[in-house]
Amino acid sequence: MGITDNILKRIGLGKPSGDQPVTFWSKNRGWLLLAITGAVFAAYPFLPFISDYWIDVAFFVGVYALLGLSLNIVLGEVGLFDLGHTAFYAIGAYVTAILNTTLHIPIIVLLPLSALIAAGFAYLVTSPVIHLKGDYLCIVTIGIGEIVRLTMINNPFNLTGGPNGINGIGGPNLFGLAINSSTQFYFYTWIIIGVIVFGLIRLQHSRIGRAWNYIREDATAAEASGVDVRSYKLLAFVLGAAIAGMAGNIYASKQMSISPGSFTFIESSLLFCIVLLGGLGSIPGSILGAVVVVVFPEVFRQFASYRLLFFGLALMLMMIFRPGGMWPRKREGTGLDGLGIRGLPRNDEDLILLGKPDPAILKPATTAVVRGVRLPPVTVPMDEEMLLQTHGVTLKFGGLTAVNNFDLNVRTGKITSLIGPNGAGKTTLFNMITGIYKPTSGQIDFLGRDITGLKPHTIISYGIARTFQNIRLFPSLTCIENIMSGPHCHARSGTWAAVMHTVAEVREERDIVATAAYRLDEVGLWSYRNELAKNLPYGKQRYLEIARALATAPHLLILDEPSSGLNDKESEDLMVLLQSLVKEGFTLLLIEHDMQVVMGISDWVAVMDMGQKIAEGLPKDVYNNQRVIEAYLGKEDD
Amino acid sequence: MATFFEQLINGLTIGSFYALVALGYSMVFGVMKLINFAHGDLFALGSYLGYTLLIASSSWVTVHFGLWGGMAIAMLFAFSGIGLAGVLMERVAYRPVYPAGRLSLVVSALGMSIFLQNGIMAIWGARPQAYPAAVVPSTRFSLLGLPVTSLQVVILLISFTLMLAIWFIVEKTTFGAAIRATALDRSTATLMGIDVRVVIFFIFALGPALGGIAGVMNGMYYRAISFNMGWTYGLKAFTATILGGIGNIPGAMIGGLLLGLMESLFAGYVSGAWKDVFVFFILIVVLIWRPTGLLGEKTAEKV
Amino acid sequence: MRKTVSVLLVCMLAAVLFLSGCAKKTGDTGPIQIALQAPITGDYAYEGQMAKQSVEVATELINKAGGVLGRQIAVTVVDDGSNPKDSAIAAQKAVSLKVVAVIGSYGSSVTEPAEDIYEKNKMVSVGYGCTALRLTVDKKPNYFFRTCGRDDAQGLFFAKYAVETMGAKRIAIMHDNSTFAKGVAEEAKKALQPYVDAGKCEIIYYDAVTPGEKDFSAAVTKLRNTQPDVWYYTGYYTEAGLLVRQARDAGLTCPFIGGNAAINDDFIKIAGIDVAKGCLMTQEPLVTDVTTAISEQFRTLYKEKFGDVPSSPWPVYAADALYAIVGAIKNANSIESDAIATAMHTNMTGVEGVTGAIKFTAIGDREDVPYKMYEVTADGKYVVHQQ
Repeated sequence: MGITDNILKRIGLGKPSGDQPVTFWSKNRGWLLLAITGAVFAAYPFLPFISDYWIDVAFFVGVYALLGLSLNIVLGEVGLFDLGHTAFYAIGAYVTAILNTTLHIPIIVLLPLSALIAAGFAYLVTSPVIHLKGDYLCIVTIGIGEIVRLTMINNPFNLTGGPNGINGIGGPNLFGLAINSSTQFYFYTWIIIGVIVFGLIRLQHSRIGRAWNYIREDATAAEASGVDVRSYKLLAFVLGAAIAGMAGNIYASKQMSISPGSFTFIESSLLFCIVLLGGLGSIPGSILGAVVVVVFPEVFRQFASYRLLFFGLALMLMMIFRPGGMWPRKREGTGLDGLGIRGLPRNDEDLILLGKPDPAILKPATTAVVRGVRLPPVTVPMDEEMLLQTHGVTLKFGGLTAVNNFDLNVRTGKITSLIGPNGAGKTTLFNMITGIYKPTSGQIDFLGRDITGLKPHTIISYGIARTFQNIRLFPSLTCIENIMSGPHCHARSGTWAAVMHTVAEVREERDIVATAAYRLDEVGLWSYRNELAKNLPYGKQRYLEIARALATAPHLLILDEPSSGLNDKESEDLMVLLQSLVKEGFTLLLIEHDMQVVMGISDWVAVMDMGQKIAEGLPKDVYNNQRVIEAYLGKEDD
Repeated sequence: MATFFEQLINGLTIGSFYALVALGYSMVFGVMKLINFAHGDLFALGSYLGYTLLIASSSWVTVHFGLWGGMAIAMLFAFSGIGLAGVLMERVAYRPVYPAGRLSLVVSALGMSIFLQNGIMAIWGARPQAYPAAVVPSTRFSLLGLPVTSLQVVILLISFTLMLAIWFIVEKTTFGAAIRATALDRSTATLMGIDVRVVIFFIFALGPALGGIAGVMNGMYYRAISFNMGWTYGLKAFTATILGGIGNIPGAMIGGLLLGLMESLFAGYVSGAWKDVFVFFILIVVLIWRPTGLLGEKTAEKV
Repeated sequence: MRKTVSVLLVCMLAAVLFLSGCAKKTGDTGPIQIALQAPITGDYAYEGQMAKQSVEVATELINKAGGVLGRQIAVTVVDDGSNPKDSAIAAQKAVSLKVVAVIGSYGSSVTEPAEDIYEKNKMVSVGYGCTALRLTVDKKPNYFFRTCGRDDAQGLFFAKYAVETMGAKRIAIMHDNSTFAKGVAEEAKKALQPYVDAGKCEIIYYDAVTPGEKDFSAAVTKLRNTQPDVWYYTGYYTEAGLLVRQARDAGLTCPFIGGNAAINDDFIKIAGIDVAKGCLMTQEPLVTDVTTAISEQFRTLYKEKFGDVPSSPWPVYAADALYAIVGAIKNANSIESDAIATAMHTNMTGVEGVTGAIKFTAIGDREDVPYKMYEVTADGKYVVHQQ
């Protein structure tokens, strides 16, 4: 990357930096780079020393680049261990081969069709297993890959031709232009890749791409910030499979014959290498990775039996000396431009101002429409004063009752604190309110709706946001990207809108950045907007997490020990911030150990011990309550 | 019915190989969370080491120490050789990559696997090699009416003894507690005064070394060894580990044995061609039913 | 530092790219370039590497005898890694090297994409280990030939032998799901069908084992329980050796017949001579059974260079492929593809390979590939079985 930058700078196409005058070159840098890349690609087959062999190699680089890009969605963007990606490639190839040789459907029609069928297949096989974690999902994908390959070998219904595979597949025909020479295939493939890369870049810089990254960074935090983790994981698999299916179509039509030998586990692991060699989540990286994986063994083809030995060695060396990949996606230091969002006000103040919410949307209403999310109708008779009520909520883990028959009332516009010794079950109660655990019995009402057992991302869209006891940010994303997860649950643009940059999508994206900017400024972190979250000092990370919760425009903000790890000065600042939030119209519920904070700002305090409520009332009453003192002192006696 | 028992014994034999390889795999996997693709290839290397020792001196070992003595020496040789190779592998290919995270480790492990496989090919050739009949004990007798060889019995005995020994070390000794603690949470283990480096050294020596022993027994039992035989066993070991539950020593054993039994019963009664499809299907069903494997603990994530 | 290294690497890569772009062209002088496409790496690496050695030996013999058209021949190896994708690239590489003709390759599904590319580029290619019918029967190629036999010939030979010579009633067929083994197994099944229809025999077992595995006891136990009179295994020798031994251990006593991928010295090593003794194999005549002068020279030189004769029959067909190409060039008196192809189809008089005279049918199959039943003797040799 450093080299590329230097070279670009020398030819006048370097990134614009402050001390250089804006020239024609620096202004149109993106377009010029695109034009140069295009020209190199177009000229490649006509270079004097490029034979058909090298054009074919470039074609195969293309096929593997497509596969790398498709796996990059699943593995790079979402971080799902997929070591059976070849299954979707195989499905695409076999669909093409079978339908072309039996029903004589033209290859070009089969291109979208094989993508569609591969995508459908991916949906069917991954939806029952998508909830599995890391390595368990990994072996399942390996299993799917092997099942597909073995099924092809076993020739069910005489469809797949067994180990021999299928031959006599036709070539694509573009409106009368038959594609069959190496050069034609080269252009055909790389033009398709161009289109797909265009779409993928747009997706990467949309709420969908960001949602994928949130899941990769921390799935629980993503879910708690309003990302429908399951659906986005499935979407990644489906999109990835669709692109892999296309690659299968292209491969089959070029090769003219296919057999299960091309779809082995080793192929899947090569794809894995492509994505990691290039850099996780990096589009140019995936293409570069494909170049290495295809060209490297070609260059060493002369060494015959030693070439794979070198290849294995090279893989290890790459991971030792460039563990992040050859062309990792750069996030920090790119400025807000790096978000790739159009129509942002040039001026910081304007942007922040644009994100200031209309006070009306923060006001809890019985028929509220919060930024596009229409809440279900009121079903539970509610006290106007009460924002949240739990009725007899109980949670049992096996024989252990973590929370027992707990009633909690949170008044609108007030700060309610939940205190109690460690292990009393406070966080568990929070986890039930926010949907991470499902109560064994009891009911939770919010704004007159029964929210018991709903998914976290649904609950958050109704207006309950939270922070975590041990901060859970998206460590490798920038601060502004972290906060942009907040408005996610209220945005509506889908995949298609993101790729096409529809008017509504562009506006929505702009609003998301603006809201994030406003909240970032509110907690005093605006100057850190382009830093990675993990590089922030601890105290600032707390604020960032609060800002992220605020950006969901919640009615109720639940904070789990917000002052833990803060020094006295920071705690005081925090109290000021919390009080200003109440003024702004938020309702707060906190777990807190710092009695100074609790007594200083709470309007109401509930005390929990051993899963049960032992006292509740005004701070000063609770402070003198005998049972409470016993509970705490008893704990300290241990 | 006799056939059923026969298939059961067949499944148990192959299953005990899987279990032994899976055991080492699971130890490394549990502590390092590393999908060690090269594990199977170390197993293959173990086979070749034993083979070389036995034939290099034109069966000198066998002549002087007898069939069983030769076998024991070959197994010891493979055990120490592969133990050393495992430690070396960790130093060279994995340790520099730890900071880069798990995904990079997977690629490094794949590279190691390709390297080892082709290294074996470069040294011993692409042709499969065969343990000569002269070094393999082959007394036959009948056990409860079923034909068995003494080698089969010895292999089963050694496998189960090794499994028990490992189970004992991991579950009952202080050092085993250190291993389990490291597997659970490495940084806390360090805080508790456990020398994590020693634990890592130990598992990277012992895990692959077990595979080395299994490699020699495998070579003895089936005679044929080939440079690419590690892939199959590595994948099966991974499957067995996951089936039993990650980082769970009894789980890996049960996973391995179960895998062998499923394979042999399905191949024996339904179809050999669809055998692996069936095995993977069962694996997926098990994981849907129990997302952390058969013996894996159902952990609610601490939030 | 790292940058310097990267720059150097990029430069080296570019240099290699450039150099390999400059193809060695066969002009009017210098050696005639021929390519060998073979699996030097991958699952069938041992076959590919022996093929390379065989072709080296044949090249040396031909060049010693004066070459062809007064010129020497030179063989370049392109590795296809035993897989179809690499095969396509390897074939394109051979084409870009502008060689006169290609020997290759091993494995039908690997050869198929290469065949298409050679055909498209009008380049003569001669397969040496690809026996599926469709390579010639379906495609009716103009430039593709093969020196090995076809699955159906072997299947037919087996069927006739098993039923008519051995009088077997209950026949078991086993393969390993590889292109080759399944091909032969299916052809054998097809060839048995008339006998089945006539009530002379029945196929009581037809299933696959997984290659690369070592334990087949489940399969042999199942096989034993079907009580076959004869058992035909069409897969490769490693598995064949394991299978026979495990079958005998399980108490299966019926005669074992292996296909021509099972015949290999290592079969005997793996099975052990006590078990291998008496096993049968359907096989084209082995190099050791051909008594022509060429065969004699080939064996001597091969032994001299590599210590032993090839342990498998296939590499010898690679040498045959070279003899066929050289013979056709001589008869055509040209190194043009069309002329060579025409000569191969019509004018192969006097062309002798290691395994005897070489002639091709109109679709490129070798004419008159005789099959013989080989038997393993007590001292571990393969001899033609005498009834």
